Amino acid sequence: MKKILSLGLVRGLLWQIAGTAAGALLVTGIRALMGLNPWGSFLFTEPAWVVGALTGVIAFVWGVGALTDWFKWALGEETPEHREDPPGWEKYFGVSLDHKVIGIQYTVTAILLLLVGGLFALIFRLELAASGMQFISLQLYNTLMSLHGMVMIVGILLGVAGVMNYLVPMLIGAHDMAFPRLNAFSYWIAPPAAIVLLSSLALGGFDTGWTGYPPLSTRSPVGIQMFFVGVWVSGWSSILGGLNLIATVMRLSAKGMTAFRMPILAWASVATSLISLTATQLIGLSFQLVMFQRLLGMGFFDPAKGGNPILFQHLFWFYSHPVVYVFILPGLGVVSELLPVFVRKPLFGYRWVAMSSLGIALVGFLVWAHHMFTSGMNEYLRVPFMYSTLLVAVPTGVKFFSWVATLWKGKIETPTPMLFVLGAIVVFLMGGLSGPPNGVVTTDLHLHDTYFVVGHFHDTMFGGYIFPFFAAIYYWFPKATGRRMSEKLGKLHFWLLFPSFLVMTFLMMRVGLLGMRRRIADYDPALGLDFWHLLITISAFLIAASVLVFLYNFFRSIKHGEPAPGNIWRSRSPEWQVPSPMPVHNYEEAFEVVGEPYDYGLPGSTYIRFNGKSH
Amino acid sequence: MAHTDKQTAFRLGVLIFVYLAILTALEFYVAVAVPSVVVLSLIALVKAGLVVYYYMHIYRLYQETETDPNSYEYKAGTLRLGLWLFLLSDAFAFGGLAVARFNLWGMTRPPLNQVLGLIITSVLLVSSFFMNRAETAMAHGERRNFVISLVITLLLGIGFLVGVIGIEWPSAIHEGITPSSNTLGAVFFMMTGMHGFHVLTGVIFLLIVLRNGLRGLYSAERHRAVEAAAVYWHFVDVVWIFFYPALYLIGTGV
Repeated sequence: MKKILSLGLVRGLLWQIAGTAAGALLVTGIRALMGLNPWGSFLFTEPAWVVGALTGVIAFVWGVGALTDWFKWALGEETPEHREDPPGWEKYFGVSLDHKVIGIQYTVTAILLLLVGGLFALIFRLELAASGMQFISLQLYNTLMSLHGMVMIVGILLGVAGVMNYLVPMLIGAHDMAFPRLNAFSYWIAPPAAIVLLSSLALGGFDTGWTGYPPLSTRSPVGIQMFFVGVWVSGWSSILGGLNLIATVMRLSAKGMTAFRMPILAWASVATSLISLTATQLIGLSFQLVMFQRLLGMGFFDPAKGGNPILFQHLFWFYSHPVVYVFILPGLGVVSELLPVFVRKPLFGYRWVAMSSLGIALVGFLVWAHHMFTSGMNEYLRVPFMYSTLLVAVPTGVKFFSWVATLWKGKIETPTPMLFVLGAIVVFLMGGLSGPPNGVVTTDLHLHDTYFVVGHFHDTMFGGYIFPFFAAIYYWFPKATGRRMSEKLGKLHFWLLFPSFLVMTFLMMRVGLLGMRRRIADYDPALGLDFWHLLITISAFLIAASVLVFLYNFFRSIKHGEPAPGNIWRSRSPEWQVPSPMPVHNYEEAFEVVGEPYDYGLPGSTYIRFNGKSH
Repeated sequence: MAHTDKQTAFRLGVLIFVYLAILTALEFYVAVAVPSVVVLSLIALVKAGLVVYYYMHIYRLYQETETDPNSYEYKAGTLRLGLWLFLLSDAFAFGGLAVARFNLWGMTRPPLNQVLGLIITSVLLVSSFFMNRAETAMAHGERRNFVISLVITLLLGIGFLVGVIGIEWPSAIHEGITPSSNTLGAVFFMMTGMHGFHVLTGVIFLLIVLRNGLRGLYSAERHRAVEAAAVYWHFVDVVWIFFYPALYLIGTGV
């Protein structure tokens, strides 16, 4: 018992419960003193729940110990930037300042959240398998469908943060992130945020979809406030993580690592971080405005008070479109990173691939209104946003041409990570090709809010994030544990996932073209879509089965995987030139970059040289 | 040599403040005499540029010479970059509020007391001057001057908060502009509230710096916390440089 209580996570959770109760009771007391009704339909009133959620998050972060160092700093005490972590598994359940520990914390939390989001999808896919309502209520369907979206998004954001946190300092030769305490803080506000987000299930749920558009979101149950608070707080995780990463790459790169000798993954991470650093503020603001509208009657989006619901959509999509590039850019970076290793050829057009990430990120800021072609915004905005949207295809095309040209006449090896890289390319191509019909005004007016969009979106997410994420786990798993995951199970995972996923999204696009609206709990049997929906549901369950294989492989291999202490992929990258698992302070001796990073197969070329000096 | 350096630095602070004061007066005159959005925006941009360059020393970001990553100076540079990135991020939140203001109000504005607005704006501007003075004093090791200037900055900052929350808000409510009345009230309270929250965090930051300064934790060479507090404080001022015309000057009162 004492040992369990010594874990930071457990302390944090207890503090969060106490903090939520304290905040909620405070507001309830104030309301009682003011003569307002102190109790609401879910015990507390809505303001009490909102304040309680916020104080709960703060209490969690305090209880876990992520603020201690800053508190000491404010009191004028110095604290070390590098602490010794306890050996063994305990360090993953408390505040550690080591970027590798934090990266693993992020990754495992992300996997958990993705599983929760996936479970929600399985439940409502079961409901959609046939027309007519089967076994869940409309409100529960709406809540699960909405939470599936946002839980997955938060999960992906944490997964992206995990990959970047774990890998980028290693790839650029840093011993840690630029701000280790901020790094720990960015991670530790995510778990309470996820708890707040999921608690909306218990508080009446909400029915808006993950977009939370007013006026619907101003009429939903209290659950929507938990959704807003949860997203708002996890947004801070994203902002501060992005800040940290940019500072790390700009300040801590190894000697000789100029911009065009940086790994592609570092480029992609910087591009991603620029988006999450800046644009995230706008989703935070838009949700905050709806929260205030609900709590204080401020009429930002209420036409009766002169407000404008379209304004919400502009603020919301200014983040929520670029954020899809946050999801995919690191994934595409992983693809470019791994491809040359398994083709044993230089990456084609390295400079252009490097810049294309930034290109996608920058153009991505100018396209948001393509989600609003049918919203009733000013019509003259449609055409410029259509063209800016199509412009995204140019830097993305650069990546595709580079991948194809890299594969061309290469000696392709196909261990599991490479299978997922190839899968990512195919699936992302499908997502890319189904994009322009949504981006062009004429076709989008027909396709808007249909299942076609759902199919397109899942193709881009799986191609740009899920497949590369799996590739990265299979590839860098030995770096973290010193053991490799089972090839056999890995291949089973891939061959179960890849075809069933393609079937699922193709059919989603098909039913969308045939008139299936997205987000609805039921459909007319006269549409004749029952059979296709059943197939989609079966594919979804096959995908879930493949994930179970992955989980078994993952947890089994930590202890029982085949030992892999050395450079098993024959990579040129610095992290593989030192033993696995990675030493605590990364590189015992500093290295210097003396050549190009991806010149595989060119005789006599070297990328890095260890120069014997320690940090 | 060091002596003249010091004098130049203090004099520059005064000179920039005089420019800012003249521009603020000009801004007020323009708003009353020839309400031109273009001229008002230009004046705000020039004011913000002066503060960002001369008070926040943005050029320090790219004028670094230290290369040893373990040195105090290099770490101070990393922290400086981190703070500027944070401010960039924060600017997007304030930018979103400004977008909301222009979308919802257009060329109208609430009937607020413009003189009161000018007074609280001046209070914040003067506090920026003293903040700069405090930082310059610490950079030259004048601890006494540093403490006095910092205390004045703090008092002015608290004065700004009192002015906005204690005087401006009640008088707006008295005029019928409440958070829930219409978008005029909603946006006004949101913008001043969000900015006021940042002033409050700035005041807390300055209190910490004052406490640690009194305990002698800073010196002419090692005072990155003072610099960070100053940059943050000036940033809050820069935000107000844009919010002031947006709330009080641009458009016609309804």
